[in-house]
Amino acid sequence: MPGSASVTTGGDSASPIVFIREIIKRYGANTVLDRCSLAAHEGEILTLLGPSGCGKTTLLRCIAGFIQPDGGAISIDGADMAQMPVNRRPVGVVFQSYALFPHLTVAGNVGYGLRMRGVAKSDIAQRVKAALASVSLSGLDDRYPAQLSGGQQQRVAIARVVVLQPRVLLLDEPFNALDAKLRGSMQVELRHLIKQLGLTALFVTHDQEEAMTLSDRIAVMRAGRIEQLDRPDAIYDRPTTAYVADFIGASNTWYSRVDGGLVRLPDGQTVSTTHSGDVKVMVRPHNLVLHRASSERAGSWSGKLVFRRHVGAMMEYEVQLPDGQAIRAVGLHGDQPVEPSPSESVTLAVRNPAACMVFPAA
Amino acid sequence: MTTQWRYREFLDRLGIGVIIAIAVFSLALLVLPSVVVVMISFDTRAFISFPPQGFTLRWYQEVFNHPVLVGAMWTSFKVGVVVTLACIAFGVPTALACARGELRGRTALSIYVIAPHMVPGIVLGVAVLFTGALVGIGPSIWLQAVTLSVFVLAVMVRTVTSRLQRLDPALEQAAANLGATPFQAFRTITLPLLMPAILAGSVFTFVEGFDNLSVTIFTHGFRDRPLPIELLAIVQQTSSPMVAALSGVQILLAILAMITLSLSVGLDGVND
Repeated sequence: MPGSASVTTGGDSASPIVFIREIIKRYGANTVLDRCSLAAHEGEILTLLGPSGCGKTTLLRCIAGFIQPDGGAISIDGADMAQMPVNRRPVGVVFQSYALFPHLTVAGNVGYGLRMRGVAKSDIAQRVKAALASVSLSGLDDRYPAQLSGGQQQRVAIARVVVLQPRVLLLDEPFNALDAKLRGSMQVELRHLIKQLGLTALFVTHDQEEAMTLSDRIAVMRAGRIEQLDRPDAIYDRPTTAYVADFIGASNTWYSRVDGGLVRLPDGQTVSTTHSGDVKVMVRPHNLVLHRASSERAGSWSGKLVFRRHVGAMMEYEVQLPDGQAIRAVGLHGDQPVEPSPSESVTLAVRNPAACMVFPAA
Repeated sequence: MTTQWRYREFLDRLGIGVIIAIAVFSLALLVLPSVVVVMISFDTRAFISFPPQGFTLRWYQEVFNHPVLVGAMWTSFKVGVVVTLACIAFGVPTALACARGELRGRTALSIYVIAPHMVPGIVLGVAVLFTGALVGIGPSIWLQAVTLSVFVLAVMVRTVTSRLQRLDPALEQAAANLGATPFQAFRTITLPLLMPAILAGSVFTFVEGFDNLSVTIFTHGFRDRPLPIELLAIVQQTSSPMVAALSGVQILLAILAMITLSLSVGLDGVND
């Protein structure tokens, strides 16, 4: 993970800054948040990740106070937010559209919150300067939002809330308004910036790569609940449910039966499991190794290579099994002594059976 | 592919053709008569004819030395101001409630407000005249101003509503999140961003108050005869180029209004 070395990853000892208990939000018969609970710790970047309609944005808006939940409690820094009006909550929101005030300059935007709080003019000027410097936008004070690039607008939106020293930063899909090309570098940059400013941040996205890049912890959401909350690598390597395994990263899936605490894999190896009966087995593409059927390392799990492509330094393969199922495998380019060609017979093997994911076949 | 390409080319040509046709037509129908009127207004001869001979400002002098016409202009100006102020006072809050609030029945409200503008002015004028007579309210400058306000309120509501609908609702939420009270958010964010629409709406409502004829003809006070009524009377009685000069003054005012608008909020703002 880029920049994760200097990070406190949500230690269990610290008391949470944001504490959400059994939040419920309904729109008519539709329950958007279903007893959703969550705790974010000082200095961590916690991502709410899920498909559209999973309730992640609604949860963020409840914390900001734009939406009143129908049940449950939200507290920030130990203070209950139920009766706290929007304009007094210690949170700073970075909107998806950035919502910069188009009729105010950069300095006017960044100083807005200070003016609303009645801070003295000379103080405002000084603090605006410092905030702009902290997001590397010094000298752009007199520009209007329309004269800025998307990346600059994003940083003005951050400076505008950071200048008020909020306890928590809430970011709602802050990369949606940016070019796809810019996003990757902006994600790393934003993470560094938040860490540098020492802020606690809750971040909403539907993009798993974004979540992987930015987060200390990820809360994978599904139908108004948090399905799993853990560090990015744990979410990827040890998903607790088939939904999370399916949502994060690519997987190959097949069904099997547990026999004596063991699941037999198609290549003949076995995995131990605590589940019993019918199970769903999922394997990441990079945990599969592929050999040409003619090579001496060929195994018994065979199929036909139907597609292969370079993705940077990686080779991506699609193998069709005799029963018609398509299996995806990924290897490093150059791993194969001779690259198998499409329509050639190949055999598959699991590199590390322990890394196979076994779930009850519900 | 080729058929689709040609089809779009054809549509482009069709579009350009229609635009040129409209341009020529509107030029012929709107601009040319205005030019003719302005030219006549400078004619030295005492009757309306074309092309004009000579150049004089005599008719303009006569307009401004004509006590009845000056009084009528003053009356119409007052009506225009009252109508504009009334439309701002009632139209802007209505637009805000319809576009942003969580008011129950806001769709009904917006239709209710716009409905009078759908009724032909003559019908509205006659209806107000008759109903007023039944309850003992006779035609007056006030009846005219109030009726016109109701008539053109829709213009202000629509202009402001369409601007509001284009404003990112997140702007007001951002203001709230940054610590603004509802009143502060309105004063510092919503109102300044609505200004172009309010200004544009004001120009339209003022012009309607100043020169509406259909409603005015039934509701104006007989002691405060507004400009359109006097103008109609003069046209019926004489064919003096003074009428052309009066039109010239109004055309000048319209041009000034457009220039003011474009300088203050830009013509894009008016389009909003």
